[in-house]
Amino acid sequence: MHMANELLSLPVAGGTLAIAGGVLGLICRKAKQVITSEKLALMGILGAFVFAAQMVNFRLPAMPGTSGHMVGAVLLAIILGPHAAAIVMSSVIIVQCLIFQDGGLLALGCNIINMAFVPTYAGYYLYKIVTAKPFSNFRTYIGVMLACLIGIEIGAVLVPVQAALSGVLMVPFSTFLITMIGVHFLVGTVEGIVTVTVLVYIQQVRPDIVAGNLQGKVRLSRRTALATFVVFTLIIGAGLSLLASGMPDGLEWSYAERPDQPNFEPIISNSDSRIAAVDKLQSKYSLMPDYSIRNNDEDEKHQASAGWTSFAGVFGSITTMAIIWMTAWILRRNNPPTVTAQ
Amino acid sequence: MHHAYIDKFAYQDSVVHSLDARVKFIAAVIFTAVVISLPRTSFAILFCYTVGPFAVLVLGRIPLKFVFKQILLVSPFILVFALSCPLYDKTPVKIAFGPSVFQTTIGWMRCFAICGKFIVTMLALIALVSTTRFSNLLAGLRKMGVPKLLIIQLGFLYRYIFVLIDTAQHLLRARAGRTLRNLGPKQEMKTASAMLGSLFIRSIGTAERINIAMQGRGFNGNWRTISRLKISNNDYIFGVFFVVFIISLYFFASTVLN
Repeated sequence: MHMANELLSLPVAGGTLAIAGGVLGLICRKAKQVITSEKLALMGILGAFVFAAQMVNFRLPAMPGTSGHMVGAVLLAIILGPHAAAIVMSSVIIVQCLIFQDGGLLALGCNIINMAFVPTYAGYYLYKIVTAKPFSNFRTYIGVMLACLIGIEIGAVLVPVQAALSGVLMVPFSTFLITMIGVHFLVGTVEGIVTVTVLVYIQQVRPDIVAGNLQGKVRLSRRTALATFVVFTLIIGAGLSLLASGMPDGLEWSYAERPDQPNFEPIISNSDSRIAAVDKLQSKYSLMPDYSIRNNDEDEKHQASAGWTSFAGVFGSITTMAIIWMTAWILRRNNPPTVTAQ
Repeated sequence: MHHAYIDKFAYQDSVVHSLDARVKFIAAVIFTAVVISLPRTSFAILFCYTVGPFAVLVLGRIPLKFVFKQILLVSPFILVFALSCPLYDKTPVKIAFGPSVFQTTIGWMRCFAICGKFIVTMLALIALVSTTRFSNLLAGLRKMGVPKLLIIQLGFLYRYIFVLIDTAQHLLRARAGRTLRNLGPKQEMKTASAMLGSLFIRSIGTAERINIAMQGRGFNGNWRTISRLKISNNDYIFGVFFVVFIISLYFFASTVLN
């Protein structure tokens, strides 16, 4: 769910970047008192662990051909505490953007909020609330499962919201929202199951690591897993029905989207007053305002001249690139690339 | 291994590589912002903007094949989004390009515009990252006021990503060597979580050893680097070229649009 630059308008991208930067600065200042210099290496390496953990994939049950992997935000939040985990996850998102080009440069703010801040903080506090005393195996299971699911879902819901605020959505908002919630329901559930089992494994092998964060001995047991599954389904079912009754228009939209109704006109989120406001803001501050496409016949002449201008632009660019390439080729023919010591 | 070489071109030497990290970073951000704010239906102008990153990539001796492979690798999400556009907006529209006039729909135009913007901004990002060493980029960001804690975190992260990815690949190879048939979801999940758990514990072990080594060498939370950042004449020349490029394209764009 890495956002790309293209899904955002300039004001939204700038705003989220400012928010993410400000919050990150605040967390860093706050965390400075908590994080000793011994913890610095640990945090860095756990960030690298998040990368490596993404490579360990496994087949998902009931869905042949797809595989899942772990995200690890909640695991880190439980073990490191929310502030340190938020810094680690933010650094992961930044490296994903800068080294692996996953997610755009301007979308960095959105991505940090959606995938670093929300899952760690929401997940951590949800886990703390559910697993408050007295300790039981069952509470831990439910706490971790809910923390993973809801943390990831809130982050996923923010994606269509940010895209809608930018006014770039062609897909109706509700369709996008429901797709994101559906896909991330699966992601969150798998994440929850993996996080619980990894926590149990760590507690068996190195109990000292999780000593302060898991109150008692967690075991894998079939009965507890079954009970967790039942309660989890009940909670999610209740949550979904509440959500559905809270936004009937959303479900109506997706219902009306059916292809068997050819006359249906998709409700594009641009009709929303918020979107209109953002659009106005964008046309005011955007470097190049949007323009309407001409397709009536009077404009034929104008269109033709614009056609020639763009033709000139494209061919000018191609010529320039060819000249740059040729020059570089001629210049470098005699000296191979040098690599300095790393 | 695929990942170990992902930023190998940052260690080359060229005019572009020797530019100051801050200048390149700011240029990339401004360039991305300008491209994002382009109208959603103008390919010709968008195409003109590719000249900038193209010039940087060619001068920096980055193979274009590598660049396009990288773009293809990160494109699935945006492709799904772009391809959904033609389904929702079927307003017919005529576009003129030189002597020919095409009939198409706004949805398709938007689809191509989204893909086009994605490619151009990715070109800029790759041009930045593959001509700048990560340590220099971090030093530049530190000078621009990014908190020290975050910079240290990023430095550590970058240094150990590839080490841990190597460890993960050892685990994966071991699993592949022992798995001759489909084990079923339960066993699969159990194996995966045991792998993740042991990876986690190994990571913590590594961190503990590194911490002891760093304490032994007097690390007290301060990251000392030899700062080599200096704005040179080349940076000024690059800045002038960049500003002229952006401004002239802006005027070109406004004549096409009006």
